[in-house]
Amino acid sequence: MKNWLKVFALAAIVGTIAIAYMWFFVYNKPHKNIEEANPDYVISAANCYNHYSQGKNTKEKNYTGKVLQITGETTSVESHDSTAIVVFAFNTGMFGDEGIRCTMLPSYKDIVLKLKYNESITVKGYCAGYNETDVILEQCSIITNNN
Amino acid sequence: MKNLILVTSVVLLSTISLAAQQYITKNGRISFYSDGPLEKIEAHNSQVNSALNTETGAIVFKVLMKSFIFEKALMQEHFNENYVESDKYPNSTLKGKVTNVNEIDFEKEGAHEATIEGDLTIHGITKKVKEKGTFTVSKNSIHGKSTFLVKLDDYDISIPGAVNGKIAEEIEITVDIKLKPYKN
Repeated sequence: MKNWLKVFALAAIVGTIAIAYMWFFVYNKPHKNIEEANPDYVISAANCYNHYSQGKNTKEKNYTGKVLQITGETTSVESHDSTAIVVFAFNTGMFGDEGIRCTMLPSYKDIVLKLKYNESITVKGYCAGYNETDVILEQCSIITNNN
Repeated sequence: MKNLILVTSVVLLSTISLAAQQYITKNGRISFYSDGPLEKIEAHNSQVNSALNTETGAIVFKVLMKSFIFEKALMQEHFNENYVESDKYPNSTLKGKVTNVNEIDFEKEGAHEATIEGDLTIHGITKKVKEKGTFTVSKNSIHGKSTFLVKLDDYDISIPGAVNGKIAEEIEITVDIKLKPYKN
């Protein structure tokens, strides 16, 4: 084979691999699987809420964007189409109860709808931050039902 | 005696109407959609705070930007890190008024057209907006819906050079909230 052909073939192969890599692992990279991920912080629901509501969420100890595993007693479960939200309330404000609100993964909807008031559970999810009334956790799963 | 009954009923009636004035939700939904030449972008948020006072027409929305879930992880990263800078500006808000509140009978079941005027804050920039929507009143809730366009440039959201022109300059925002009476 001529030299230029070899170079061309090599370049074509490398190029294809690079494009495939970009397509699968950069452009279409999957969401972090929160359900399988190890939690960055394991805390009680009350401590997590107080951390934000008392303004302790600083650069040094920032829960936002992290995977949190929290344990607390449920105060209510809301459901809306395919989503269910588990609430751990600690306060009351202008929008009603304030606390931690966990959007459950759709596969946990039926389980959480059976939870009883004040039932102790452990939930893992991605912390989206604090909207000045509640701490919001997304893509949540249930680790254990402590009762 | 008559006066006492009158006063008592007025007080009682006003308490009842006061109690029903405030409607709230914390699981409202906002989604946005844009269909540019390069990218179709869609994201959903199902934890939107909203409150409506049916007497004064005052309405507020508050949404946590990191709660928007995208189909593609990379888009979600770009949205939070480069476009809306959600570490710096974690929340977006709309504080406004239903301007035709006097024409809406919130006691009457059915759909009512509404116009909302107020201040929309995204990415730390506040702009006056005026949008249309509907409130569908049913027995124990008010279902609010609205779809409107937001120009990225108005909120200083810059699109990087590499994808400039390939992402739509305007995004369509859909609001869907089910407000319940606020019980204190």
